[in-house]
Amino acid sequence: MAIQRKSRSFKDISFSFSPHPVTKDLPVLINERAIVRSVRNLVETIPTERFFNPLLGTDIRDSLFENFSRSTVTIIEDQIRNTLDIFEPRVNNVNVQVTARPNDNNLDVLVFFNIKGTDLPPQNFSFMLEPTR
Amino acid sequence: MPFTQFTSFDFDDIKVQIKNFLRSNSNFDGFDFEGSNFSVLIDTLAYNTYINAFNANLVANEAYLDSAIVRENVVSLARNIGYVPRSRKAAVATIKLDDIDLGTTNDNTTKFLKLRAGLVCIGSVENTTFRFSLPEDITSSRIVDIGGNSFAQFDDEISIFEGTYLTRTYLVDASIDQRYIIDSPDIDTSTLRVYVGAQGETSLGRKYSQVDNILSLSKTSEIYLGQEVQDEKFEILFGDGLFGKALENGQRIIATYIVTEGKDGNGPSEFDFQGTFSKDDGTFFTPSDTVTITTVSNATDGADVENVSSIKYFAPRLYSAQYRAVTPRDYEAIIGNIFPRTESVSVVGGEELDPPQFGKVQISIKPKNGTFVSDFDKTIIKNKLKNFAVAGIDNEIVDLKILYIEIDTNVYYNPAQIASSLDLKSDIMTALNLYSNNVEINKFGGRFKYSKLSQLIDRVNDGITSNITRVKIRRDLKALLNQFAQYELCFGNRFHINPAGYNIKSTGFTLSGTTGTVFLTDVPNKDSAGNLDGSNKGTISVVTRNEKDQQIVVIKEAGGVDYLKGEILLNTINISSTAADNNLIEVQAFPESNDVVGLKDLFVKFDVSNSSINMLKDVIASGEDVSGVVFTRDYYTSSYSNGVLERK
Repeated sequence: MAIQRKSRSFKDISFSFSPHPVTKDLPVLINERAIVRSVRNLVETIPTERFFNPLLGTDIRDSLFENFSRSTVTIIEDQIRNTLDIFEPRVNNVNVQVTARPNDNNLDVLVFFNIKGTDLPPQNFSFMLEPTR
Repeated sequence: MPFTQFTSFDFDDIKVQIKNFLRSNSNFDGFDFEGSNFSVLIDTLAYNTYINAFNANLVANEAYLDSAIVRENVVSLARNIGYVPRSRKAAVATIKLDDIDLGTTNDNTTKFLKLRAGLVCIGSVENTTFRFSLPEDITSSRIVDIGGNSFAQFDDEISIFEGTYLTRTYLVDASIDQRYIIDSPDIDTSTLRVYVGAQGETSLGRKYSQVDNILSLSKTSEIYLGQEVQDEKFEILFGDGLFGKALENGQRIIATYIVTEGKDGNGPSEFDFQGTFSKDDGTFFTPSDTVTITTVSNATDGADVENVSSIKYFAPRLYSAQYRAVTPRDYEAIIGNIFPRTESVSVVGGEELDPPQFGKVQISIKPKNGTFVSDFDKTIIKNKLKNFAVAGIDNEIVDLKILYIEIDTNVYYNPAQIASSLDLKSDIMTALNLYSNNVEINKFGGRFKYSKLSQLIDRVNDGITSNITRVKIRRDLKALLNQFAQYELCFGNRFHINPAGYNIKSTGFTLSGTTGTVFLTDVPNKDSAGNLDGSNKGTISVVTRNEKDQQIVVIKEAGGVDYLKGEILLNTINISSTAADNNLIEVQAFPESNDVVGLKDLFVKFDVSNSSINMLKDVIASGEDVSGVVFTRDYYTSSYSNGVLERK
């Protein structure tokens, strides 16, 4: 019988910094919530934004200034997949779905992935790429 | 785990330390992953720590003269110990003006002609032109009448400075904290002239003189001090009423100076006159004829502003010298300051000379762009030294004596690892040239280190298996042609004695009254049994060769050699010509020790151009010869000198 490996738990701090109403503790993110947050941070970080780690992050916001085509989708997918492969060893089977909304000048991005060593269903998060002005 | 490591300055190291600390002191564990929120916090914390560590390190470093790097800080720290860095130096040329025709002599003829400060010539070199200026007016020596026409004559040679003459005027306003800073960083402070006068005064005012310390100043001394401030600019500081005369409100200060190109201005030898004259009534005078200029000396001595490493070297030394020249170190610091072109100085107290000359100090100076200091510069240095010297000490500036080191190197290489032996030879040459510029060698008291050189050759390429390098020392004897003269050559290093002779070799020369080229050679003193007598002395002979290549002694006892002291003495001889250029006879010897030292006033120089590099195949390493027979027969090299008469 194959050996079943159980992932250890992960505990990360939350950036909301709003204390618990009863215990007054700072909120924490545990397990899949911590990992989803991490994936989101990686995808939304712009390269050179991190100190002394200029390659961390994705350049997908730059894609908003390109004419939309199939290749734009591929670039966004590749960037997200590569970044997660390199910087987030806790996830695999990364899949990215990009839906273009040319009339609204934005892109809908949906990222799916599995968390390694857990029985959890595939995780996902979505975000919208749109010009800020 | 306590957080006790404070030594890391690297961002990544700091980050690892914080993570290690958190790993043992918190419940969080997601910080190992770059995407986690905690990782972002750790990055921020590590960056902050890094910046603080960097700043603390920078501040601590910049607070001390030894470790400071930023020029402004080095200058400021040097200022604390009374050192003013040298400014740029304008290249100076000397010219003579031919007589200036003033026209027909009459009652209105001027009593003198003044060459006005400012642009005086345009000098050119290699298709580049430079402006040459005068810092002060120069008045003619006399006006003479020749055949009814008056001519102005300038007897003295005129020193002209490369650069543009500028004037800056300040008005003293006592109500504000006023500073008198000259805007340009490129000024030659030696050309700075400062005049203080009343506002609206027609003349320039009283000339203030520059001083570099407050010794012997009174409250009426009309002086100013200078200091370098931000961006290599120069600030003029006036007296405060106690040390030097204080400025009064409303006074006008006029500063005139020359802004120069520094060392780029060296070289021009041809000059076109562009100056202006004025007559005794102050009106301008334009000569009817072209003003002819004779160049006395080309533009030289231009130098850049003193660099940071030089300031760091000289500031503490000048401070320890305390404006008096007593120890050799004092002289070294002071001469470096009063003669900016100094590359290296050797100062030998008279008591160390042989024979001792008490009360005398012998100074040798190696200038930056050449070998010898001109007599003119020597006089200037001696005069300036008088301000620092102790009474009763006689300073003598002697010419530099260069002790050349040459090598004959046989380099063994593995042909399997080398593409071309010629390329390898050129690589070795490049490495040797680089080594020859090493400051450890090219200085007074320098030492040539044999093992370092041998290692250097081996390391040029992995294909080099070994080298056998022989060292020679050489001095050039400047012959006084067609004059009876005695010569003494000191090498300052013990000579190796080969009992058979040929320890001393020279290039060829001719003697008055004899035919054919002659050479110097030596015969070590021997006892009756034919062995060296232990006196470490020998006889110098002058020999020649006949058409059958046999040696013929021309003068048997032409002088003596002291192998122990490394000294060659030639009795009175009359040399009529030399085979080498510039009336030189190159005299070489083999040093007893392969490490050669520049003793006293000898300036050690590694002469790569006269060294030879011989490339030899290492047939053992390449596998061509397994027994060593071929190597011993065809590629063998002796580690000792040859028995040839002549220096080649």
